[in-house]
Amino acid sequence: MKRIIVDVDRCSGCRLCEAVCSFAHENLFGSSASRITVVKEDAFGFDLPVMCWHCSRCLPMETCPSKALKRKAGGLIYANEEECIGCGKCVETCLVGAIKLHPERHTPLICDQCGGKPICVRKCPTKALTYSETNVLRPKLPVKILEETLRKWRIIA
Amino acid sequence: MPKYFGYAGRVLRVDLTRSRIKTKPTETNLIMEFIGGRGFNSARLYQEVPVNVDPVSPENKLMFATGPLVGTAFPLGARFNVSAKSPLTGILGDSNAGGHFAAEMKFAGYDQVIIEGRSPKPCLILIRDQETQILDAAHLVGKDVYETTEIIRKDLGRQVQVATVGPAAENLVLYSGIFVNLARPAARTGMGTVMASKNLKAIALEGTGSVKVADSGAFWRIVEEVEEETYAHPQYWPRRVMGTTRILSLADNLGFLPTRHFTSATFEHAAEVSGERLAREYNVKNRACFSCIVPCSRIYVVREGDYAGLYGEGPEYEALSSFTARVGNSNLNLALKAVDLANKLGLDAITTAECIAWAMELHERGELDKKETDGLELNWGNGKTILELIERIAYRKGFGDLLADGVRRAAEKLGKGEEIAFHVKGLELIQADPRGLKGYGLGYAVSSRGADHLRSEPFLELSDDPDEGMKKFGIAEATLRLAHRGKGRLVRYFEDWCAVVDSLEICKNLAENMELLPLKRAAEITEAVTGSHFTEESMSEIGERIVNLERAYIVRQGITRKDDYLPPRFLKEPLPNGNSKGSVFEMEPMLNEYYEERGWDSNGIPKTRKLREMHLEYAIKDLEKTRSKSRIKKI
Repeated sequence: MKRIIVDVDRCSGCRLCEAVCSFAHENLFGSSASRITVVKEDAFGFDLPVMCWHCSRCLPMETCPSKALKRKAGGLIYANEEECIGCGKCVETCLVGAIKLHPERHTPLICDQCGGKPICVRKCPTKALTYSETNVLRPKLPVKILEETLRKWRIIA
Repeated sequence: MPKYFGYAGRVLRVDLTRSRIKTKPTETNLIMEFIGGRGFNSARLYQEVPVNVDPVSPENKLMFATGPLVGTAFPLGARFNVSAKSPLTGILGDSNAGGHFAAEMKFAGYDQVIIEGRSPKPCLILIRDQETQILDAAHLVGKDVYETTEIIRKDLGRQVQVATVGPAAENLVLYSGIFVNLARPAARTGMGTVMASKNLKAIALEGTGSVKVADSGAFWRIVEEVEEETYAHPQYWPRRVMGTTRILSLADNLGFLPTRHFTSATFEHAAEVSGERLAREYNVKNRACFSCIVPCSRIYVVREGDYAGLYGEGPEYEALSSFTARVGNSNLNLALKAVDLANKLGLDAITTAECIAWAMELHERGELDKKETDGLELNWGNGKTILELIERIAYRKGFGDLLADGVRRAAEKLGKGEEIAFHVKGLELIQADPRGLKGYGLGYAVSSRGADHLRSEPFLELSDDPDEGMKKFGIAEATLRLAHRGKGRLVRYFEDWCAVVDSLEICKNLAENMELLPLKRAAEITEAVTGSHFTEESMSEIGERIVNLERAYIVRQGITRKDDYLPPRFLKEPLPNGNSKGSVFEMEPMLNEYYEERGWDSNGIPKTRKLREMHLEYAIKDLEKTRSKSRIKKI
């Protein structure tokens, strides 16, 4: 399926993706309401956009107490807000930390790829985000990407 | 629903003496007359911090403010101003920084945060949306900028934005900065010193709020225009590759690179310490401020040689040039180490380098011996001495203690070197020799915070194109960098523009230098975001009002024409080499022209008519006093 793919070396950490995402979905600018989040470590200048990869096996789906997380025919995971009890279990169980709860509705914010035209990809100033077909079923863990990056920059051996 | 979109709509006031926290709506008149950011701070400072307040006393107020566009997807950066009465200069203190702090402050729900009083013990302010707490910071005392940020994020969350001071501020070094995102300082005029004097080690904040815009159709139309122009701009790639470090080679070529304390205008080792070399051999990636589409900041790694393994964000031109050409150092690795150390300890790199370079020149002239400097060898470019002095300044040790009060006081105390203490109004000059850039020089002379280019940045004179000057200012020389005529008009225009950009808290490199936010567009985007009507003229008037109010503030502190002079070297000694060779700076005609353009009297005091025109009636009486005093002096 098509997924939003991150080139970590290109990401400038500007978080414009968060701003345009929250606007596209909520009609406001606020990173707490975005479905994409840039994980940052200023000490290393590390910036990594994280959003739902729609993994073939999804822990949040499996462990959601109200079974509010569902999968569409094409593979996209979404939250049924009616069934969601706002417990935040999904936030804890997602291995890459791709989910946060809406600050007011307390329901999970899960990337919907903007119906096939992700605004974050379109607006990314450094082309760190692309949208394409991939067979990779689960993304790398952020901590692993950090480690690889620092090794590449020869900050760690 | 807020009255104006774009704004957070709230001002937070924290009284550290009484542990009292208050929130008030952002005043409508502030919005209409001063837009935000620098304008908000300067206006409130005028009202709330009167003449006799000691800058490091509890009566001084430290203000953080941001602007209406910050937090939105407007793609030209997101900044904040921090202001207080300056301990370094005794007049208006003000500094500005980018990164991610300003946007988070908006998300937390505040346009301005005002810190008053003094905490009985070291503290940390934590702002989480509507909840503000004053926390104990005993565990952070003495910690450097990097350590403090890390500890706070470990305790309170990786995503928290932190503004902190380093040990230099805690030791009341008068030019200590406030640092966000580790390497982004609001460094000028000693705002960190004021913060530390309040026993405030850091402000940590996070917010779940949002910013709404009034007319999203207009907003996106303007954003798309700006994006298109930015990506096609000839400066886009140079800035993305080198950030401001690209200026070093340019300044060297044109002959205004301050070298060995302004004794030369070119540096024979410029290529070795240039932005080009950094880009080729050191930089591993780019970074950007919140929502900015020009990622001009760089992460560098020192791969071999001295300090191999050192890494960090930056440096920008000012800090790079400070610890290379200005002090005569050709070792790029050492310069990176010096910038890193200055950041870590929380110092203003520009002022630090001026203090060191000043002492070096005195030593080289044989006027300062080893006995007076605790045995330090102060020859040009001595790397060991440079690093050692940064430490000694930050901890006020020995000779460092003398330099810790800035170059003006150091010269006074030492009783020599006063004529080569390169400052205006107590603030040290930046890295561009005014003899090679007359408009910039006039800008340093009249800037309301002392010798600094960011109040005007009249980059058009770098074009050396007389047609530009004729077209824009009606004076061909206005845009010739070595000419004197027309610079009053040039600087006045740029000052008003800069005041608007600083109050919208957008990046001047993009808004101004790349001309992406001319006043007309500034009006359009502000109208689209806030829902209130603005025009090119009303924007220009707001800029002019801010400049006049800041002038009134410093005139009230005793500043007049006599303080608007560059140090004597620039007026008397022709540039010895480079492409501006032979040039000197003619002060009098430029000041006369500038005052006239401004509607100020020949002593540099805004005329009553001008103040009335600017709706600054409250300043009239204050200035009347100074006016009559200066009249008496003349007789």
